[in-house]
Amino acid sequence: MGDPAIVVDALVKTFGSKTAVAGLSFSVAAGEIYGLLGPNGAGKTTTLRVLAGILTPTGGRAAVAGLDVAAHPLEVRRRLGFLTNTTGLYARLTGRELLDYFARLYGMSPGAADARIATLIRALDLAPFFGRRCEALSTGERQRLSIARAVLHDPAVLILDEPTAGLDVLASRFLRAFVRAERDRGKAVVFSTHYLAEAELLCDRVGLLHHGRLLAEGTPATLRAAAGDAPSLEEAFLRLCAAHDEPGSAVEVVGP
Amino acid sequence: MKLREVTLVAGKELRETLRDRRTLAVMVLFPLAVYPLVSLVTAQVLAARLARVEAHVARVAVGGDAPLTAEVRRRLTGPDLALAPAGSAADLVANRVDAFVEVTPGPSGKPPSVRILFDETREDSSAARDRVAQALGAVTGAGCAPAFQIVTQGIAPRARVSGYLLSKILPLVVVVMVMLGAFHPAIDITAGERERGTLETTLSAPIDRAALMAGKVLAVATLAALTGLLNLVSISLTVLEGARLVATGAPLSIPWLHVAAAFAVIPPTAFLFAAVMVAIGSVARSFKEAQTLLTPVYFLCMAPSLTAALGDFRLDGITAVVPGVNVTLLARDLILGRAPLGLALIVLGSTIVYGLCALGLAARLYDSERLFFIDEAGLGLGAWIRHVVSGRSVAPQVEGPNQDAPTAGEALGLYAVACVLLLFVFVPLQSWRLGPGLAISEWAGLLGLTWIYARGRGRRLSAVLRVGRPSLGATVGAVLIGLSAWVVVGLLAEWILPAPKEVVDNLRRVIAPASGDRGTLLTLFLMALTPAICEEALFRGPILRGLRTRFSPAATAILTGLLFGIYHVDAWRLIPTAVLGVALSGIALAADSIIPAMVAHFTNNACLILLARLHADDTSGLSRNAKIGWGLAGAVVFSIGAALVARAARTRRDM
Repeated sequence: MGDPAIVVDALVKTFGSKTAVAGLSFSVAAGEIYGLLGPNGAGKTTTLRVLAGILTPTGGRAAVAGLDVAAHPLEVRRRLGFLTNTTGLYARLTGRELLDYFARLYGMSPGAADARIATLIRALDLAPFFGRRCEALSTGERQRLSIARAVLHDPAVLILDEPTAGLDVLASRFLRAFVRAERDRGKAVVFSTHYLAEAELLCDRVGLLHHGRLLAEGTPATLRAAAGDAPSLEEAFLRLCAAHDEPGSAVEVVGP
Repeated sequence: MKLREVTLVAGKELRETLRDRRTLAVMVLFPLAVYPLVSLVTAQVLAARLARVEAHVARVAVGGDAPLTAEVRRRLTGPDLALAPAGSAADLVANRVDAFVEVTPGPSGKPPSVRILFDETREDSSAARDRVAQALGAVTGAGCAPAFQIVTQGIAPRARVSGYLLSKILPLVVVVMVMLGAFHPAIDITAGERERGTLETTLSAPIDRAALMAGKVLAVATLAALTGLLNLVSISLTVLEGARLVATGAPLSIPWLHVAAAFAVIPPTAFLFAAVMVAIGSVARSFKEAQTLLTPVYFLCMAPSLTAALGDFRLDGITAVVPGVNVTLLARDLILGRAPLGLALIVLGSTIVYGLCALGLAARLYDSERLFFIDEAGLGLGAWIRHVVSGRSVAPQVEGPNQDAPTAGEALGLYAVACVLLLFVFVPLQSWRLGPGLAISEWAGLLGLTWIYARGRGRRLSAVLRVGRPSLGATVGAVLIGLSAWVVVGLLAEWILPAPKEVVDNLRRVIAPASGDRGTLLTLFLMALTPAICEEALFRGPILRGLRTRFSPAATAILTGLLFGIYHVDAWRLIPTAVLGVALSGIALAADSIIPAMVAHFTNNACLILLARLHADDTSGLSRNAKIGWGLAGAVVFSIGAALVARAARTRRDM
C-alpha cells in the first residue's frame, strides 16, 4: 500500500465555545472505504467539511492526495468529490446544465466533459430525467444526479456525508454498489453515517466517533471483538460508548 | 370551525412570532423610529431648499409701453425683487434675469396687459414669476378692478421642459428601482442558497471566494440594471404621455438623447447596490434574517438619493463622491443636458470604486463557519461583526463581569425608546416653546428615561452612569477636547457637507435670539449644561456601557457616536454631532467615568454659544488659509487633550 490518500492528524475544530472535533487522527488508503460512524453531533460532518476545504482546522492537520487542506484548499477541492447529505443540487437547473456548469468549474475541456457525462448517464441511468429541472426530480433521482456531480471530474478521493439518508432500500443498495465500484477503481472513500448496519455492509475500516474523539478504529470484525464479541457493530458501539462515558475510564481501542 | 381552536392557534402563532426579536424590531422600530427619522431629515432638506429659493432675490426686467412700464416698475418693489435697469426676453434666455415683464396698453376700457415671461425649467424663475404676479395682481382697494391683465408664459423649448419634468422624477425613481431590483436577487443567491441546501455544493467547488462573490454580484447587478433600464424607459413614456394629456400648448417631446445618456449611471449604480446587498445578504443565515438586515440597508441606501433629489443640490467636487447622492445628481444633470464630463467621470469612477470595496467586503463576509453553524454560541451576529472588525475569531474583549452593566439589547432598546420620545414628545414640546420644551425633554425625558431604566433593573443610577471621580489628567484633557472639538468638527463638516446659510442662520437665531429675551446664562444652562448632563447620562451611560459588553472599545465609541448623531435628526449636523459623539464616547471609556465626557460636552457647547452671542461664529469671511490655520490649531489642542485622556487611561489600567 502506498501513501495514504487522506491523512487526518490531531485535528481540532472549535466553533465559539464548542469543540466539534477534539484531536482526531486517522488515514485512508487508495482503494479503501473508511466509515466515520457516530451519533448526531459526534463531529462526522465537521471532519468531512474540513477535508473538503469548506472549514478551516482550528488545530492539527488534514491532507488530501498529499496536499494540506488549509494551505491548498482549491487544489484539494479539484482532487476530491464531495457528496453532501442534502444532495445540494441547484433546483432551477436541469441535470445537463448542472453537470455542464461543474465540468467548466473543474476546467474540463468540452470534449472531455461530453464524454464523461455520457459515461455517467449510462452508469447512473440519468437519461430518463437528465433534461428535467432538479426541483422536479424524486429523491432517488436527485441522489444519482448528485453522485454524477461529485464524480464528474473522476477524483481520486470521494467524501460522502450520509449519502443514504432519506433513500429507499433500492436507492441505498444502488449507491452502495456504486461506492464499491469506485473503491475497486482505486478511489479512497470516506463515508459517514449513523446507520451502523450499513457501515458494516460497506466499509473496509471504520472509526467510531464520540464527542469529537475517535473512540475506536478498525475493521467491523475487530471492533465487535474489542467490545466483547458484540453481535453487531451497533451493539459494539453502544458498549464502547458506555465504557467511555463511565467516570474515570479512558477506553480507546485501535485495531488493524 | 370552533372559535376556541381558532383563538388557540392564533395565541400560539402570536407567541412564536413575538418571541422573534427580528420581527419585533421590524414591526416596532421601523414605524416608530426609522420612518419618522427619515421623514424629518428629508423635510429639513426640503425646507432648506425652499428657504434657499425664497432667499434668492428675483432679478426682473421690464419692457414695453413707457408710461405703463414706469407704473409697473413702481409696483415691483420689495426686498425679494431686484429690477434690472433695462432688459429683454433675451436676457431671460441667457439667465441674466429671472423674469421679463412686458407691458402693453389694453383694449379700450380694459386694463393694460402684462405678460410675465419666465423659464419654467428654473426654480428661481418660477419663483420670480409668482412674486411679480402677486405684486402686480394685488387689488388696490375694495371694489376696484385689477390694475393689469396678467398673463404668464414660459419660454423654455418643449424638449427642455420635458427634460426638466423627467429630471424631477427619473433620477430618484431609477436609483430606487435599481436598488429594488437588487434586493430580492441578492437575498436569493446568498441566504436563499443556504436555505435550499446548496451552500456546501457551492463551497466545495474549486473556485475561490472572491471569484464566487464577483459572479454573484455580477448576476444581481445585471438584474438590477435591467430593472432600472425598464423603469427608465417606462417612466419616461408614462410621464410624457401624462404631460401630453394635460398640456394645452404644443405637445412635449422626449429628449431621447439626454435620457439615453442617463443610462450611463445605471450599470455602476447597479454594481454598487448589488455588491452592498450581496455583502449584507452573505451575513444572513436565512431568508428571513436577510430581509431583516436588508430592509434598513435599503432605506439607508435610499436616503442619500432622496435627499439629493429633494434638495436639488449642485453636482460638484464634494457631491460627486457621495455615494447615492452622486448618481442621482448626475442622472438629473444628464437628463438636463448639463453634466460636465469631468464630474461625470468622477461620479462613475467613484461609484465603481465603492462597488469594488463592497465586493471585497462581500468576499470577506461570506463566512462559511457562521453560515453553517447557526446555533453555536459565539457565532451570532455580534461575534461575526467582531470577527470582521478584528479579523480574528476570538472571544469579545468585553468588560469584566459587572452586574450593574446594561446589556447591548437594553442599550438599543433604550435608544429606540428615546427616538420614539424624541419624535412624538420632544419635538412637539420644543416646537411649542423652545426653552421649557428643551428643559422638559432633557431633564424629564432623557435623564428620566435613564433613571427609570436604572430603577426598573434594580441598579444604582451612579453605577449605570459610571459616575466615578476622574483623574486630573482626564479632566484637563476633556476640557481641551471641548475647547477644540467645535473648531475641528465644524471645519470638517463645512468641508464634507456644508450646511446652507439659511440653516446656519436659523441655528444661530436659536442660540442667540435677536430679541434678546433669553440671557447668556440661561442659554448656557439650557443648551450647554442640560445636554451635557442629560444627553451624556443616556448616551455615555447605559447605551455606551451596554454596547461595550458586545463590541471592542473602538467599535463601541463609533457606534455610540453614530447613534448620537442620528438622534439629533438634523441632516446638516449629522457628521459634526456623530464625530463629537465618538470623541465623547472615547473619553468616557478611557476615563471609565462619565464626568469627563460631560465636561467636554459642556465646554464644546459653551464655546459655540458664547461665540454666537458675541457674533464671532461666522466663518464665511475667513480666508482659506485662515480656516486651515484655525483647523490646525484646533487639531493640536484636540490631540493634546486626547493624549492626556489616553495617558490617564493607561495610568488607571496600570494601577
